[in-house]
Amino acid sequence: MSEILPTTTVGSFGKPDYLTKARAQHARGKLGATELEELERKATAEWIRRQEDIGLDVLVDGEMYRGDMVAFFAERLEGFKIGGLVRSYGNRYYHKPIIAGKIRRTEPLTVKWFQYAQSLTSKPVKGMLTGPYTMLDWSYNEAYPTRRDAVLALAEFVRDEARDLEAAGARYIQIDEPAIHARPEEIGIAIEAMGIVTSGLHAKTISHICYGDFAAIYPQVLDLPVDQLDLAMANYGYRWLDLFDRNPFTKELAIGIVDVHAHATETVEEAAEGIRKGLRYVPAERLWPHPDCGLKTRTVEECVEKCVAVVEATKIVRKELAKVPA
Amino acid sequence: MKTTVIGAYPKIGDDLASQELRRALHRHDREEIDDAELETVFDAQTRIAIGEIESAGIDVTNDGQVRWDDLLAPVARTWSGVERGPLERFYDNNTYFRQPVIKGPIATDGQTFVRDYTFARGVAKAQLKAAVPGPLTFATLAQDEFYRSIEDRVLAVADATAREIRGLNDAGARMVDIEDPAVVASARHIELAREAYGRLADAAHALALVTYFFPPDAVLESLASFPVAAIAIDVRSRDTTAFERLDALRTKYVLLGVVDARNTRLETAEEVARYAERALKLVPEDHLKLAPTTSLEYLPRDIARAKLSALVEGARLVTGEKVPA
Repeated sequence: MSEILPTTTVGSFGKPDYLTKARAQHARGKLGATELEELERKATAEWIRRQEDIGLDVLVDGEMYRGDMVAFFAERLEGFKIGGLVRSYGNRYYHKPIIAGKIRRTEPLTVKWFQYAQSLTSKPVKGMLTGPYTMLDWSYNEAYPTRRDAVLALAEFVRDEARDLEAAGARYIQIDEPAIHARPEEIGIAIEAMGIVTSGLHAKTISHICYGDFAAIYPQVLDLPVDQLDLAMANYGYRWLDLFDRNPFTKELAIGIVDVHAHATETVEEAAEGIRKGLRYVPAERLWPHPDCGLKTRTVEECVEKCVAVVEATKIVRKELAKVPA
Repeated sequence: MKTTVIGAYPKIGDDLASQELRRALHRHDREEIDDAELETVFDAQTRIAIGEIESAGIDVTNDGQVRWDDLLAPVARTWSGVERGPLERFYDNNTYFRQPVIKGPIATDGQTFVRDYTFARGVAKAQLKAAVPGPLTFATLAQDEFYRSIEDRVLAVADATAREIRGLNDAGARMVDIEDPAVVASARHIELAREAYGRLADAAHALALVTYFFPPDAVLESLASFPVAAIAIDVRSRDTTAFERLDALRTKYVLLGVVDARNTRLETAEEVARYAERALKLVPEDHLKLAPTTSLEYLPRDIARAKLSALVEGARLVTGEKVPA
């Protein structure tokens, strides 16, 4: 990566209408798996091209083949059952997985999609995984005696997946832990599990954290064994940055500069100001501008708008930095 | 041994037929149905929730909180001085709430819950209780752009809550749950919470301080001096020493959260009975009620139903009642 302030995204993008419809048809048994996958590949290719056109530096496959970030894995692992519908907020429901037995992976789950996405671009594509702590926290645990036991069992699966991604050429592997602050007293378990996942990896490792009380786990979260923390900031008015006054931030920081839960996009200047705020704490070589979170709840057009804001804001700040004599 | 429920009942089930409300809300969003049609569906779902709770054999029901998007939403929508803000995680759940934003002095006409309570009264055959969000929970989860201190904020919220309770009282509610997980989640504010509850106490009927998600361990003795008739505690979400210390609550009714409303693993009736018997060593039988730990809405509806059955069967085991076939 030659540029300073490399730009990226958190992982998911909005699905095009034809794919949303196809997924619904598939769920009702009216569309075969092969036909659905064909459309998922088409949508993935479109998103790779869009990211290149927008000028993002490190790409993602956009998760066109995933619904929920935990359920995708749970549906494909032995030991999980898919539970009934529970509400996450408003009128949104999801099938909350149940850990009903010993967890075992029978085959790599994300490698094929990584390889496909990477084959479409010369820019690096991130390998995308859900962290073991979040997988436990967002599932019902009926099988393991303690939460820690379940997290450590999941960590072995995530480690195998990460190693396979690295072997397939992934230079960036993101292991998301958005639930890491659900129970701040368990941060040690999340750190222990991430140690199992990232130990021995040479790829740059990243963990995305969002929607919770980040202050409750800071600075302990700096012990999470990954190279980069990826944090929602715009939605929080950048208030987490104040924590870095007292305990300096020691990792690379992927900084969220556009809110993903609002239809309207921040202006480029607002987004640029977000980057400038981050630069007070983290040097440009270690600061990665991006949207706050995955964009899957937004339309394709809104996703593009938000990514354009990130890239254009970054260009402005790069120019400003170039003018400052070293 | 009496049983009750806490909080919200699952709003939809897994089969398409029981997803009427979900569809109606989508159609309402797209302006395909109007408010009146949506209200009809809400009412129908309220009947279903009460019906399912009652048919499980629960002694004291609520209205299922079918219209509540989240614990704070009903008052965040009606109280003046409050707007609904960004989504936030609700404690340690993968469930999100709209954070209330306090923009000005909080005021209410005290009618927020009256319509639903009155409707539920016409439906319920079992004893019916009402519920309001707890003042400490509202005050600690809201963004405050108006009050100058947490003390001012908590007491203002308590005054508005007192008004809601009086409104319910006037509508005939004799039992009101005050769902206030912050009392155990933010134990450092316990004295402030007690002062706030002092403002609710003049409403002359049976108030229950309902805590959940966290054990009451840090505040158990303090809870005894809250001016409420009953205290609900969650003895399943985390390890707790509460069973050894329940005599601290000897002047209160205890609603014991023994069925884990946040895990699908189903308790047996014997397991439920064992929890009750542990509590009965320190709490007289007529002062103990068994309950789920929290809202059953954290579970799929079929599991929620099964949990209620386990709760009722367990309670009957304790008292040697025969479970009707």
